[in-house]
Amino acid sequence: MGTFRYIVDNWDTLGPQVATHLLIVGISVAVAAVAGLAFGIVSARSERIGTVVLAVTSTLITIPSFALFGLLSIWVGLANPPVIIGLILYALLPVTRNTRAGILAVDPAVVEAARGMGMNRTQVLARVELPLAVPVILAGLRQATVMIVAIATVGATVGANDLGQPILSAIGRSGGTIDAVLAGIIPVALIGILADTVLAGVQRSLSRGRVAVAATA
Amino acid sequence: MITFDHVSKQYPGAEVGAVNDLTIEIPSGEIVIFVGPSGCGKTTSLKMINRLIEPTSGTVAIDGSNTRDANVNQLRRSIGYVIQQVGLFPHQTVAENVATVPRLTGWDHKRIAARVNELLDLVGLPPAQYAKRLPAELSGGERQRVGVARALAIDPNILLMDEPFGAIDPIARVRLQNELLRLQKIVRKTIVFVTHDIDEAVKLGDRVALMSQGGHVEQYSPPAELLARPATPFVSSFLGDARLVRRLALIGLRSIALSPTNGARVPSTNVDASGSLRDALDAVLRSSDGRAQVVDGDRILGVVDADVIRAASV
Repeated sequence: MGTFRYIVDNWDTLGPQVATHLLIVGISVAVAAVAGLAFGIVSARSERIGTVVLAVTSTLITIPSFALFGLLSIWVGLANPPVIIGLILYALLPVTRNTRAGILAVDPAVVEAARGMGMNRTQVLARVELPLAVPVILAGLRQATVMIVAIATVGATVGANDLGQPILSAIGRSGGTIDAVLAGIIPVALIGILADTVLAGVQRSLSRGRVAVAATA
Repeated sequence: MITFDHVSKQYPGAEVGAVNDLTIEIPSGEIVIFVGPSGCGKTTSLKMINRLIEPTSGTVAIDGSNTRDANVNQLRRSIGYVIQQVGLFPHQTVAENVATVPRLTGWDHKRIAARVNELLDLVGLPPAQYAKRLPAELSGGERQRVGVARALAIDPNILLMDEPFGAIDPIARVRLQNELLRLQKIVRKTIVFVTHDIDEAVKLGDRVALMSQGGHVEQYSPPAELLARPATPFVSSFLGDARLVRRLALIGLRSIALSPTNGARVPSTNVDASGSLRDALDAVLRSSDGRAQVVDGDRILGVVDADVIRAASV
């Protein structure tokens, strides 16, 4: 109960931190979704570009977040911007990889039928490939979202006023540390679970008829 | 009419061409079958009509105009296309699938809905029962019916069918073949149909183009002619030993000379006059005395026996 009390007592500070956390994650997910979708489509079209894009995004995700945020803050300053950019880079891999995989998993016979009926490349993509890849793409987006909700806490080290702050403030102190750390962790976990649940629901409702691909997601 | 004029397809790196110098005419309103062993180039030839494969040289013309001069997507929308794997869009209902080309062509909603219902009725899938279903909820045969309905959506003059019944169980396949023939009586399309099954070719084709390696046409003739007079050793060997038995199915009982009925000896089995010589042979074999009576309702037209069959089959 101590933690709960702590959260209530410190809501004046925590409230804005929750809001900032949601803002940072929201912007990052939105941008990464659009960019990842574009990268994924291009990667599915060209084997060569696909290899390069996946190699770069896979490398990005191995950079420690602490270092990446620090590095970015040199160019874009402190607080939210370096965190948003860093999180976008992290979220790119799951979205790009799944978009590519989802498109490549579409039955070639379905694509041939579409082309044989006179759809151009864009129509095949928009009416057939992307709708069929949706469950796989959403699975990637889910993975990315849950991941960056947690990583965003590290943004506190470069001055983002998010849910990393209560955790950071407790590190190296002797008294009340557990409550402060939990005051950061619990909302982060709740946001993560909520986002995951909502996206899982969307994923299920959009999986109508896409049995084969949905099963692999 | 579809005209292939010295058409070849050579894939880069391949030693021999997939199709070499194919020249053939496909008359309007007929079912023409491309039949031959795997890899003979029959599917490649078919796909050069709707330009899913572009010829390396030569021209394919539809009613005299070179297909290369047409907008490729417009060309494809004007040609119905049915493939073995059907390729229905799994995320769309039966009705949405059938509506694909009308939508691409920009028909209004009312017209599309009416056309979809009409087509589903035509292929034997009552719209009330099937329109809202997803492809995953259909049997293989039902899926291909939807595939055919989808190909006929904007009433194209030409229908290309690439082994459409190849993946369907034998009983449903026979039913679909019969329905295609029934449908063709109504719609009178120019149909190019690819198969490796000579029985299917002989049953469905107004003309059969029997191909060997490289899309080389060994013989191009009506099925009865093909079976009666194979033009080359390749044709004979592809048709196999049973070609004359197969041919019996193509000869109607109304078209042959029967023995007169002999009041004293009434044959033990009957065969309907609408049947073929093959049905008559079956009746003769079933009979106790080697004879069968050809009947048309209550009327007795005559008697058929081994001699009659032999006389009529050569």
